[in-house]
Amino acid sequence: MAFKQDTANQQPMQQTALDLTGDELLVVQDLKKHFPVTRGIVFQKEVASVKAVDGVSFALNEGETLGVVGESGCGKSTMARCIMKLLEPTSGTIRFRGHDLSRLSRAEMRPFRREMMMIFQDPYASLNPRKRVGFIVAEALEVHKLGTDAEIKRRVQELLEVVGLNPEHYNRFPHEFSGGQRQRIGVARALAVNPKLIVCDEPVSALDVSVQAQILNLLKDLQRDFNLTYVFIAHDLNVVRHISDRVMVMYLGQVAETATRQDLYAHPMHPYTGALLSAVPVPDPTVGRHRKRIVLEGDVPSPINPPSACRFHPRCPRFVEGHCDVEEPALIPRGTSTSHVTKCHYPLERWPMSEEEMRVAGSATHAAAAASAPAETGS
Amino acid sequence: MWAFVLFVAVTVVTYIIFYAIPADPARLACGQRATAECIKRAAHYLGTDRPLYVQYGKFFGRLMPFSLRGTPHLKEPSLGRSFTNRLSVNYVVGHAAPVTASLVFGGAVFWMLIALPIGILSALRPRSLLDRLAMVGVLIGISAHPVWIGLLFAYFFGFKLGAFPITGYCDLISPSGSCGGPVQWAYHLFLPWCTFAILFAALYVRMIRANVMEALNEDYVRTARAKGAPEWLVMRSHVLRNALLPIVTMLGMDIGLALGGAIFTESVYGLPGLGKTVITAIGGFDLPVTQGVVVFATICIITFNLLVDMLYAVIDPRIRLS
Amino acid sequence: MALLEVNDLKTHFRTDDGVVRAVDGVSFTVDKGQTLGIVGESGSGKSVTCLTIMGLNPRRSAMTTGQALWKGEDLLTANPRRLREIRGSEIAMIFQDPMTSLNPVHKIGDQLAEAMRLHEDVSKKRARARALELLKAVGIPRPERRLDDYPHQFSGGMRQRVMIAMALINNPDLLIADEPTTALDVTTQAQILTLIEKLQEEFGSAVIMITHDLGVVAEIADDVVVMYAAEVAEKGGVEQIFKKPHHPYTWGLMGSLPRLDIDVERLVQIQGQPPSLLRPPSGCRFHPRCPYVMPVCKEIDPPLTAVSGDLGHLQACHLDEETKNREAAKLLAGMMAEAS
Repeated sequence: MAFKQDTANQQPMQQTALDLTGDELLVVQDLKKHFPVTRGIVFQKEVASVKAVDGVSFALNEGETLGVVGESGCGKSTMARCIMKLLEPTSGTIRFRGHDLSRLSRAEMRPFRREMMMIFQDPYASLNPRKRVGFIVAEALEVHKLGTDAEIKRRVQELLEVVGLNPEHYNRFPHEFSGGQRQRIGVARALAVNPKLIVCDEPVSALDVSVQAQILNLLKDLQRDFNLTYVFIAHDLNVVRHISDRVMVMYLGQVAETATRQDLYAHPMHPYTGALLSAVPVPDPTVGRHRKRIVLEGDVPSPINPPSACRFHPRCPRFVEGHCDVEEPALIPRGTSTSHVTKCHYPLERWPMSEEEMRVAGSATHAAAAASAPAETGS
Repeated sequence: MWAFVLFVAVTVVTYIIFYAIPADPARLACGQRATAECIKRAAHYLGTDRPLYVQYGKFFGRLMPFSLRGTPHLKEPSLGRSFTNRLSVNYVVGHAAPVTASLVFGGAVFWMLIALPIGILSALRPRSLLDRLAMVGVLIGISAHPVWIGLLFAYFFGFKLGAFPITGYCDLISPSGSCGGPVQWAYHLFLPWCTFAILFAALYVRMIRANVMEALNEDYVRTARAKGAPEWLVMRSHVLRNALLPIVTMLGMDIGLALGGAIFTESVYGLPGLGKTVITAIGGFDLPVTQGVVVFATICIITFNLLVDMLYAVIDPRIRLS
Repeated sequence: MALLEVNDLKTHFRTDDGVVRAVDGVSFTVDKGQTLGIVGESGSGKSVTCLTIMGLNPRRSAMTTGQALWKGEDLLTANPRRLREIRGSEIAMIFQDPMTSLNPVHKIGDQLAEAMRLHEDVSKKRARARALELLKAVGIPRPERRLDDYPHQFSGGMRQRVMIAMALINNPDLLIADEPTTALDVTTQAQILTLIEKLQEEFGSAVIMITHDLGVVAEIADDVVVMYAAEVAEKGGVEQIFKKPHHPYTWGLMGSLPRLDIDVERLVQIQGQPPSLLRPPSGCRFHPRCPYVMPVCKEIDPPLTAVSGDLGHLQACHLDEETKNREAAKLLAGMMAEAS
């Protein structure tokens, strides 16, 4: 594992060694997206930058689902948009079927756009209210000229049926459908061009619980039937667990931990993952009330001025002064499994944690937390 | 910084426009029997025989409050002299401005006195009779031209009923000639105020109504009620405080704009304000006077905009700290 | 005597499209120091129920019948002044979105002090001191400085804490929390829930927690009311509801949740979508989506009846008891079997 020290600004630059076999569908390495914060009216000077995504790496095989979890400000949505090239990455590589997409121009990207589609969070905002449903689903087909008008229409009706809608509703407008149905339209739209990869950006967060299950089941069925690969972004750990093969936990623009579903939920290594897992309420009164929760102090710091070295150190219950705030941990396997990587010097040894492991950080960490830019504006 | 750039741009454009117009002030100054000799002399006297940029440069130099001729010293900024009657433009503008100011500020008070209660009540009782009448009123107010309204008022209230004078302006302070003093001043300005106010009142009623309705639906209003606050406190401290924020700033900008010359109202009522002055000047191809009014109007607009920006920072804490 | 007794509460709204029956016959009680969880999805009427109790519905369009007895006094017929006295001092309410629930142009300290001075004749100084106490109690760091800050200078979690402080400043006997954590991250949610529990112990108040999250209910509620389409589907103690659910909607809700501790191949899904409250389905409102629907369900709206004679556990469904016991057992067994 390479470890270069950049003496200019005291930040070690790291290269994560991904366990690559060569035939992964999607390989993202050290992806970064920084948004500059400028000052001045005429002559704009960059005074800071929002490091929304600051070094994300992962590999995804065909037919798999990678779940991406994290809270607000962790950069998961920004990362999704970078993968789809809806935003230009600041640095890093995105290899899709072997081709590096990160440096391609818009024209060069066009053929790839057929193979990567996206489903969005808000079913009310992501469909153009002035277009009919048939048009919305068919748009990608028309852009890529994939058939005659009649063929396209037939395909759209087929798709509507596949997602569980009535094909007769081809000519209706989005407002005539409920939230769950609109999300199905979004899925149909994504499926239209037979993509290989679908990036789902919180597709069920805006839906009622009873409808959520319908969409999740639909996505799973479609994956099986059409051999789709998903990047599934959510903040709800339960949902992610249900649908993912592997899970990646993000914090402040970086990857905290990546593992298979079973490994992550049964043996989390990063203390942040532990906090997330213990914070999720369990719908079982006997279990829920008596379990011990790790309650983190304070708020998520701002991505403009992230804490030094390990970004989680101001809130971490396992913080060790002198190490965690000085040396940035590498994202490497630290347990028995090579596919389970974590970015922590002192990963959890046991899950659930023992009483002593769970002591919430003392006053030293709070002083650090207070100093390192508490969020000034709501996220 | 921007203000300065804007100022230069506006004055340059005025100059250029004037020179695109095919009329020669020198020839006009000479009158009917304009001999070539006369025109040449007039042109030299007025300065119009110099190239455009020299004229502009001289204009600018006159305007600055300091002089670089000889040893640098402070001097009174001057807007030049009128082409038609050689009066100092400073004097002309200086006498017209208070008239316009009286009209505009008084009118602003009028329109706010009308718009605030109607706007707020309409918002509190949407779709009631009051609200619907108010909306019809707004439509009329916006569509009817101030000149038409002015003439109507002048005819009915001035001529027919004899309640108010039709034309003329009286100085507020120094009684000179036939009329003067605050009462006469207000008496003469009453109809103009009403006319001027109608259009703005209509616009503001609509704005205030929309803002108040929106504020009433805000979550923090619900929180205030949940705390047990009485309705008047909810209105004063939560609803109005937030709804009227943007109105205050719009008010500042509209006043700044109107100070440039409420042309229509001044024309109908024969008030010797900036609007009337500038129309006369344009008709007579009197560049310095036109330029003078433009300069004054620009300064007003820019000043008021700056004031509004600063005011906003004071009353909206969210702006303060960014 | 119960602290709050709600009897057959109905709230209908007059709108341009007709009458929306937002709450259609809801009854429950809350005792001193107890926590009641009201669960339901969007459109179930859970929020409107509490807004009606507090008298916060728009006066012109809301038509309310029934009773809401607060310490014996009916809030629905009380005069507005009495209601204002109670709101904020005996019953306090916090809302879902902390970003918009605070007035952006007033300082936090002033808003807190206002909450106190509306009900008690105290000096500004005293109110400010009390506001400071509350900020400390809810865990806001450096509270003396924060008193003079504006809402936009706080994060979502902090704002919600301020809302809680504002609600508790007068020591209310009942705190109604309307989806207080829905807009917050899961770790912040844990902080807020822990805080509410702690303060409940300290101040001795009862809590009504409105939420769509069964997990939250399981963690902090003593009693549960499950609402569907403006009616009560099932209610009882938290153990009873979770261990012996007796309504198809409750089964659907519980089965459709992906769980951390349980692995299922396919989630139980409730087909269709929540019904319109303008023209609710005839008979039992759940019948269009119910896998166990019978002809009687389309005609008669089932009344609330006791489960196995236990008056503390009521449900509204026509299915016979035996089937329900069996289905409930199947559901729980299904969940247990897959547990890792």
